[in-house]
Amino acid sequence: MGLLSIIRKIKKKEKEMRILMVGLDNSGKTTIVLKINGEDTSIISPTLGFNIKTIKYQKYSLNIWDVGGQKTIRSYWRNYFEQTDGLVWVVDSSDVRRLDDCRLELENLLKEERLSGASLLIFANKQDIHGSLKPMEIAKILNLDAMDKTRHWEIVGCSAYTGDGLLEGFDWMVQDIASRIYMLE
Amino acid sequence: MEEKCSIEPIVDSLAPDSALQKKHISMLNRLNARHLQKSNSSSSSTGPNSIQSFLDKFSESKRSIESSIECLQTDFTINGSVPQLKLDLEKISSSIAELEKFVAESSYLLPPYEVRAAMKAISDVKDSVEKASGKLLPRKKFSFRNKVTKKDCGGNLVRKVEQIKGTDPIPVERSTIVNDSPGFRNREGATLVKDFRISEENMGDFSLCNLNTCDIYLKGRFRALFVYNIRNSRVFVGPVLGSILIEDVEKCVFMLASQQIRIHEAKATDFYLRLRSRPIIEDCKGLRFGPYKLFYEGIKEELEDSGLEEDTGNWANVDDFRWLKSVHSPNWRLLEEKEQEGSVSISDIC
Ligand SMILES: Nc1nc2c(ncn2[C@@H]2O[C@H](COP(=O)(O)OP(=O)(O)OP(=O)(O)O)[C@@H](O)[C@H]2O)c(=O)[nH]1
Ligand SMILES: [Mg+2]
Repeated sequence: MGLLSIIRKIKKKEKEMRILMVGLDNSGKTTIVLKINGEDTSIISPTLGFNIKTIKYQKYSLNIWDVGGQKTIRSYWRNYFEQTDGLVWVVDSSDVRRLDDCRLELENLLKEERLSGASLLIFANKQDIHGSLKPMEIAKILNLDAMDKTRHWEIVGCSAYTGDGLLEGFDWMVQDIASRIYMLE
Repeated sequence: MEEKCSIEPIVDSLAPDSALQKKHISMLNRLNARHLQKSNSSSSSTGPNSIQSFLDKFSESKRSIESSIECLQTDFTINGSVPQLKLDLEKISSSIAELEKFVAESSYLLPPYEVRAAMKAISDVKDSVEKASGKLLPRKKFSFRNKVTKKDCGGNLVRKVEQIKGTDPIPVERSTIVNDSPGFRNREGATLVKDFRISEENMGDFSLCNLNTCDIYLKGRFRALFVYNIRNSRVFVGPVLGSILIEDVEKCVFMLASQQIRIHEAKATDFYLRLRSRPIIEDCKGLRFGPYKLFYEGIKEELEDSGLEEDTGNWANVDDFRWLKSVHSPNWRLLEEKEQEGSVSISDIC
């Protein structure tokens, strides 16, 4: 038995899920993680590196990797692909000018073989900002319909500021991962 | 220390629907419970001792991984083969995974440069394992990959990454959306004033785009500011509730207050800031920083409402993402007192 499958077994027993949060800088990744974890979100610096949080969610233990999205740091994203069960792509729905960048970065990420089995949750964040684009509009610009048909994905509008939509998104992702990993043998 | 519990019951103005509201309240309760649990058990040490012990432990693990890689290579050169090569490589890869986790868990208490250096080191170690295994396992390249076979809920679908149609991007229909968002665009030699206190648009974002030789005044509070391609201009802005993103500016003066600021590709520009977190710069040159000194009637209350009443001194704590070393970045410096502008009062501008 290979080492990876041993790791897998242990993970299974502890009901652990590994979640990778990525997206352009300023999209709200760190704010989302802290909000979900019930922490203060009013003082957050741009992430110079990465953070990890273990959060109990339903009966699972989520290991959330929040990696900085500044250009300089994007080249490090690949360091965190290993063993990823769930991929969360966060979009600033008010940053219309950079949506092209956002689409290109997401496309690159999805070419990554090591992420091919991961459930993909797209958070259309900052819905509280008036005039921000709706999840459907974001889906269109990111060209999500052209995605590989076997990928499990979902786009959810949210606001890390009010908390709206966060649980809806995580609920979907956790269910989806669980149905792949823990129920099917 | 930065962690304060502030989970105020938020009135959900976007969703008057009662089922949603219930869900929301139950989330807040869950979050509260979780936070209490956490704060009872938190007693982390963040002194210089723990940084030193991190660095010691990190370099020890790193050295041991590197020497394992070297051992494999030497064995291979001497004997022409390594008996348990695959197993050894897997062991190494799992030590790297552990090391990575260790860095992640420590990253809250480490200074940014240590985090960056550690990330780079891990990335390098991974590369050298890949390289070594490419040499030692010439046929099938060893890689850090997730080998678990995937089963689709539907049953017999097999994934093929190549199917992603990334090659024919559909052009974004910009014209329909871009101009909707409020802002000042494509102006030269103008004085541009916006007062959010009378326009009731303070729940939205605002953009400044393609401006040359302009004076720009934004009074009142709003949620987010985007700045792109500005030359030779002076920009004075009241408190921004969220973040400010600035790209491609040259020979400007900005006076800004917000929770966060990110500055990309700026040249020869002065920033007078009040912030709740550290300003960051990327691909910048010739920037100078000083404290926020804007005044108009009502700004004091607005700053208070935005949690910006105090000067945190963060304007001086600039992080240059392009600068890895712990010696000072050559791309920015503080404005000396005598170089700074005096207070700027814009009460009369409307
Ligand atoms: N109005 C509003 N602002 C938000 C929301 N989510 C995040 N923000 C703000 O957006 C800014 C960026 O948030 P971060 O969480 O630091 O973003 P990030 O994606 O972690 O950024 P990097 O670490 O640089 O990759 C902060 O000023 C947040 O307060 C939201 O839902 N609504
Ligand atoms: Mg972050």
